[in-house]
Amino acid sequence: MNTRELFRLLLWVTGRMLLRRTMALRQQSTLMLTVIALFVLAYGVGGYFSFLWGFEHLSRFPGLGGVLIERVLYVFFAFLLLMLVISNMVIGYSALFKSSETQWLLTLPVRAADVFAWKTAETTVLASWAFLFLATPLMLAYGAAQEMPFSFYLRIALLFIPFIIIPGAVGGLIVLFVTRYLHRRLFKWSLMAIGVVALLGATFFLRPLESADNESVQMMETVNQLLRGSRLALQPLLPSYWVAAGVVAWGEGPVWKGNFFLVLLISNALMAGYACTVFSRWVFYDGWSRNHSQEGFLSGLKWLDRSARPQPVKWLDRLLGMLPGLQPWTRALVAKDLRVFWRDTSQWSQFVIFFGLLGLYVINLRPSAFGSPVWSMFVAFLSMGATALTSATLTTRFVFPQFSLEGRRLWIVGLAPCGLKHVLYEKFWLSSVVTSVVTLALMMISAYRLKLPGWMTLLFGATTVLMSFGLSGIAVGIGALFPHFGSGASVMRRDDNPAKIVSGFGGTFCFVMSLVYILIVMGIEAWPLYTHLTGTTFTGYWWLTIVIAVWSVVMFVSLVAITVPMRLAVRRVESLEM
Amino acid sequence: MIRTDKLTKQFADLTAVKALDLDIPQGEFFAFLGPNGAGKTTTIKLLVGLLKPTSGRAIVGGFDIQQDPVAARKLISYVPDLPFLYEKLEPLEFMLFVGQLYGMDRKQAERSSLELFERFQLDATRGQLIENLSHGTRQRVVLASALLHDPKVLIIDEPMVGLDPRSARVVKDVLKERSRAGTTVFLSTHILYIAEELADRIGILSRGKLIAVGSMDQLRAAAGKVGALEETFLALTQESVEAPAETPAGS
Repeated sequence: MNTRELFRLLLWVTGRMLLRRTMALRQQSTLMLTVIALFVLAYGVGGYFSFLWGFEHLSRFPGLGGVLIERVLYVFFAFLLLMLVISNMVIGYSALFKSSETQWLLTLPVRAADVFAWKTAETTVLASWAFLFLATPLMLAYGAAQEMPFSFYLRIALLFIPFIIIPGAVGGLIVLFVTRYLHRRLFKWSLMAIGVVALLGATFFLRPLESADNESVQMMETVNQLLRGSRLALQPLLPSYWVAAGVVAWGEGPVWKGNFFLVLLISNALMAGYACTVFSRWVFYDGWSRNHSQEGFLSGLKWLDRSARPQPVKWLDRLLGMLPGLQPWTRALVAKDLRVFWRDTSQWSQFVIFFGLLGLYVINLRPSAFGSPVWSMFVAFLSMGATALTSATLTTRFVFPQFSLEGRRLWIVGLAPCGLKHVLYEKFWLSSVVTSVVTLALMMISAYRLKLPGWMTLLFGATTVLMSFGLSGIAVGIGALFPHFGSGASVMRRDDNPAKIVSGFGGTFCFVMSLVYILIVMGIEAWPLYTHLTGTTFTGYWWLTIVIAVWSVVMFVSLVAITVPMRLAVRRVESLEM
Repeated sequence: MIRTDKLTKQFADLTAVKALDLDIPQGEFFAFLGPNGAGKTTTIKLLVGLLKPTSGRAIVGGFDIQQDPVAARKLISYVPDLPFLYEKLEPLEFMLFVGQLYGMDRKQAERSSLELFERFQLDATRGQLIENLSHGTRQRVVLASALLHDPKVLIIDEPMVGLDPRSARVVKDVLKERSRAGTTVFLSTHILYIAEELADRIGILSRGKLIAVGSMDQLRAAAGKVGALEETFLALTQESVEAPAETPAGS
């Protein structure tokens, strides 16, 4: 069977399944569909007007408006390119080397290189659609700000096709070579090492903005530093440069230059596709076999062989053994959950990427960059919100599916003397402690960098911890209230993955409730901050009373966020039939 | 039809399959037995080309699975212990897809599918999505799809798990029929009576080595046992555990 026939058949299957999934939406809750539609609409409209406001604001900057708008595009596409490559790598590894469909396809009379081509194309679409969705309001706003005709948007759409193919192919090739030549364990540690080096490098090499005394000089200096700091996005060898330059050329002229970058992108996308075809013929099947045979570069090292070295998890058992007051089953459950998490690279790598980016941001905060302490406080407040939003994403992604993931193993813990109630408590505490440690660390770094006053550091720190507990309560509670154990025989299968569980009604509801909770908490705490920013002065005693009162309300809201879903969940699991 | 020459597979420090020599002629029903972790599934993965051997080679229908995988796989149908199915397809759609992957035209695939549906009592599943089928029904769909293109070699890993007695009987009958009609059946199982009832020859693998191969009578003679396969199997595998060094494989 040739490549075209295989792709035609696989497209037919994919189309049928997509149709069935779309039709299945009719059986979904109207509430969930409405919530999702409203979110999409809110992002689209809100994003469009925010970007439009931003572009118009920048265009008024004396003498540099056009340059700043262009720079926004270059930086945006550079960031998009990086995200697309990472996203293609993460999804591509699972699709190419862990998917049961790939294994099945490799037993059929088709070429392994064709299977690679199909799965890479599928990965490119899966990894890119969300980013394109994010980019759409920006492009629409840019076009509106430049008063472009309709044909401009069609040309931009054309430009995006080769632009998403390049990171798709590059991500596929990286996965191909890494899997072929690196042992799995070595890959895991290499990934961590790269992450740490990138974080340290970014901390040392990304220079914070410094300010001058005079306001207008300070503004010019800030703009100057911003332009200098974003020069990396102007590397002409980056595909993000080509796409940004194409958009700018079509927006401001000359048009031939835009056409040139379109052709450049297409030729490079074709070249990347060709490289994938050639290298996959040589490497893919070999890499697949090695990946499933625990072979690879340095695979002879004893250290890489789990059975030949001391188990690294023993320290975990010792550590948990040192914690006083823990029941044996709690220790066992905590150890099990941590091990399962650690051994699944695709799980913790997302955790590291999310908090790593946030860490990068807070490490680079400087009070001087914001001119006045008031703005520093405002930025700290927004940092707290960003940290809470990241936590909400992660508790929904990782903690919410925990109860469902027990699935067919539920009877093991369900029939154990501790009972399911304690399983829920364990998951709640584990999630709360882990997220509190990470988010509090980020908040403290942020407060230290911004030189926040003591009372505000305390308020934001305590709120961050409370929100970690609140978000964990929501995720664990709703996870048990809306479990996804699969239907029919699927409950017996191994391929139920957390991402699939999260995409159901329960996952969406959990995320929406988490957002509502964050908005309420942020809304309550915005008041003392607002009074401070507007210059209202209170005596020390009154100020303390206000801060304590505000925090007490936040605490009350958080207790509700924890106890209501957790109590309902406990009631649900106590009557659960296994 | 299936031949392996000194087929070996090494996983880190573990040799999962050690210098396996097999020769299974066309039309033979070959049962492959062994304790858990003996290397049965690894052997099957080497036979269908899912894994590369560390050394040695596997030849199916005259084609080396590593040198000419597409030609070899045209002759093979492989049913793993945990088979893959597209959850959002109907069984007939899945069958049509598989048939066309093996080069059948759509009408021919549909006609053969309907015949197999009747044989495997799958008519009632038409119009249902695969995700809603029970484990046993899914297993029957997979077996039916494996037989669709009339393979020359059928390699099956634990086909009876989850099947009710009536379905198990249908599967046994179909496999025996196909074997008589010239299909080589390579069946890996833990259910000894299936091997005893259906197989022309039985191979026993222990710790990656083929410790015995032959008809029931030959195996009984090698083990010095009479009666059911269970006693023979236990005796042979026990010997292999007690004397792990070099155990000659009979034939």
